[in-house]
Amino acid sequence: MRSNAGASRSTSRANSRVAASKGVAFSKSPVLAVRLPDWRSRVVLFALFAAFVTLAGRALWLQGVSNRFLQKQGASRYMRTEELPATRGKIFDRNGMVLGSSLPVKSVSVFTDDYKENPASSEKIRELASLLEMPQAELLKKLNSDRSYVYLKRQVEMDVVAKIEKLGVEGLDTRKEYKRYYPQGEVMAHMVGFTNVEDKGQEAMELAQQKSLAGQTGSRRVIKDRLGRIVEDVGLSREPHDGKDLTLSVDSKLQYIAFNSIKNAVDKFHAKAGAAVVLDVHTGEVLALTNWPTYDPNNRAHLTGEQLRNRVITDTFEPGSTFKPFTVALALDKGLITPKTMIDTGNGRFMVSGKPIRDTHPHGVIDIGTIIQKSSNIGTSKISQMMSAQDMWEMFTKVGLGQAPRFGFPGAVAGRVRPYKSWRPVEQANMSFGQGLSMSLLQLARAYMIFARNGDMIPLSFQKITEKPMGQQIISPKTAAQMRVMLESVVSPEGTASQAQVAGYRVGGKTGTAQKVIDGRYSQTHYVGNFVGIAPMSNPRFIIAVMIDDASGPLHTGGAVAAPTFATLAANALRAANVPPDSTVTDIIIPEHPLEESN
Amino acid sequence: MTGKINVVLTTLLVCCALSVVNARYQRNHLVNDIEKLATQQRQLDIDWSQLQLDQSTLGKNERIEQIARANLNMTPLSPARTQYLTEGGK
Repeated sequence: MRSNAGASRSTSRANSRVAASKGVAFSKSPVLAVRLPDWRSRVVLFALFAAFVTLAGRALWLQGVSNRFLQKQGASRYMRTEELPATRGKIFDRNGMVLGSSLPVKSVSVFTDDYKENPASSEKIRELASLLEMPQAELLKKLNSDRSYVYLKRQVEMDVVAKIEKLGVEGLDTRKEYKRYYPQGEVMAHMVGFTNVEDKGQEAMELAQQKSLAGQTGSRRVIKDRLGRIVEDVGLSREPHDGKDLTLSVDSKLQYIAFNSIKNAVDKFHAKAGAAVVLDVHTGEVLALTNWPTYDPNNRAHLTGEQLRNRVITDTFEPGSTFKPFTVALALDKGLITPKTMIDTGNGRFMVSGKPIRDTHPHGVIDIGTIIQKSSNIGTSKISQMMSAQDMWEMFTKVGLGQAPRFGFPGAVAGRVRPYKSWRPVEQANMSFGQGLSMSLLQLARAYMIFARNGDMIPLSFQKITEKPMGQQIISPKTAAQMRVMLESVVSPEGTASQAQVAGYRVGGKTGTAQKVIDGRYSQTHYVGNFVGIAPMSNPRFIIAVMIDDASGPLHTGGAVAAPTFATLAANALRAANVPPDSTVTDIIIPEHPLEESN
Repeated sequence: MTGKINVVLTTLLVCCALSVVNARYQRNHLVNDIEKLATQQRQLDIDWSQLQLDQSTLGKNERIEQIARANLNMTPLSPARTQYLTEGGK
């Protein structure tokens, strides 16, 4: 018992020791003895319940009601918008030779901030500079530029881009773009034109046909799997449209022949410039159109206005004697004269309202054919005096003078002919031989359609056409035939264009030499020599117009500079086009002192 | 009876579900093939353009003339040394 009591005492002592060291035992904690009010647990329960309801409600809201945003976000994790490329249409010549075509290239640019964090080694910079073909200093300047995104070079070819990407320079960015290539280069420059770095047409046909040539990139939504493969095509958001191909009327071979003839002529006669255009008599297509000086559309770093100028279409000049046939044709057509009519051209000097009109040589009494053959200003003036100003104005307008031609070529000029009411008699006489009015070489060439065809005129086309166009009758077929005989006589040893003869072929045409208008006055030292010819005469196929601007050598007249240029051009063109010869004459006779037209 | 129908319907459902999975899988493959072919087509288009350009560059009249003159010693023909044959021997 004692021992029991002692034991219990000792346990209670032990208990009290525990309590003393750890405070009150948990089960006996007085705090627990307090009974909490019931509402508190209910509040907690309710709060928890409310929290769950909120979650459920939110989930319902996101899943059921406002799910569009999340779906979009979700889709963006696996859906991608893909750019669908569209290329600019190709340009072909009439035989299907490519004249202009776009190939994908890349632009190389840099995020300068990324680059500056991790600059490349000097060796890499050197390699990059040589790949980009730019000096190292310039490259470094661009890489360390203040702007955040800098183009290093645009239109870099794909194989070079691959090498650049291999270098692994930080911050470099490449983007796909297109570069236009012109395989025929400077030969076709004025016909085809060129595009800028954004692949937009800037000149000539590239500009004229920009709308149909330009492609429109599209885009579509696709779903990609984890390897980046496209597994589902969700649909197009924008349809891509490739640009339409364009087939020009130009013939590469003829163009090359024309280009070479003009280039050589400008060189030979020390001229400032030269231009030529070849038209197809049957279809009105422009088979060749060339200028010198010209430019290389693939490399336009140092382009000048002189090189860009398309003298065939955008430059006007006073045609001079080349215009005489129109005056004569009108008089013939009106029945005022016949080819046999004799006209007294006197001693080479003739006064119209007190102003003199001169011929280089006195021709005396000559018939109409000889007036054209010898290019007599006086003869033409006298013929013009038989007609009213209105009739002449109507004729000039009908052959296209003073109207901007509608063949869709940028910068085509209208030329100038004043309203007939303001013509004074001396002006009417001057206009009869091509002074005091202006036109482009292309307009002049087109006007000759009425002689080359049977008196009708057709619209010109820079694109290949399949249907023969309808002509508009200007003069009677009979007059046209009479004019052709006269034009052929010009290209004879006795005519002003003896140097335009082509061995093996009958050709005809008319020379013209115009004084250039400089500071509002006729220059006595600067001339434009021109020649418009038809070949072959038996069945006209081509109209070829040649202009040599400001020949500074001893020769400057149309007969001396433009006619021989025409001859080489026509000879090669006829041969290249497989036109059968229509003349047995293979020896060309050019007199020692060929006749020159007055102006 | 209903139990049997249920079993049949369940089996049918499972089959359908599996075939949907299969069809989707096959579609993904086919779409991927189409994409590959489309990429190939684009590349071939580019190659074709490149070849056309090469043809035009190499067939340039200037180049032909230069080679004809320099390498092959050719000269342009002239009517003076051309014999024209006409029909009927006129």
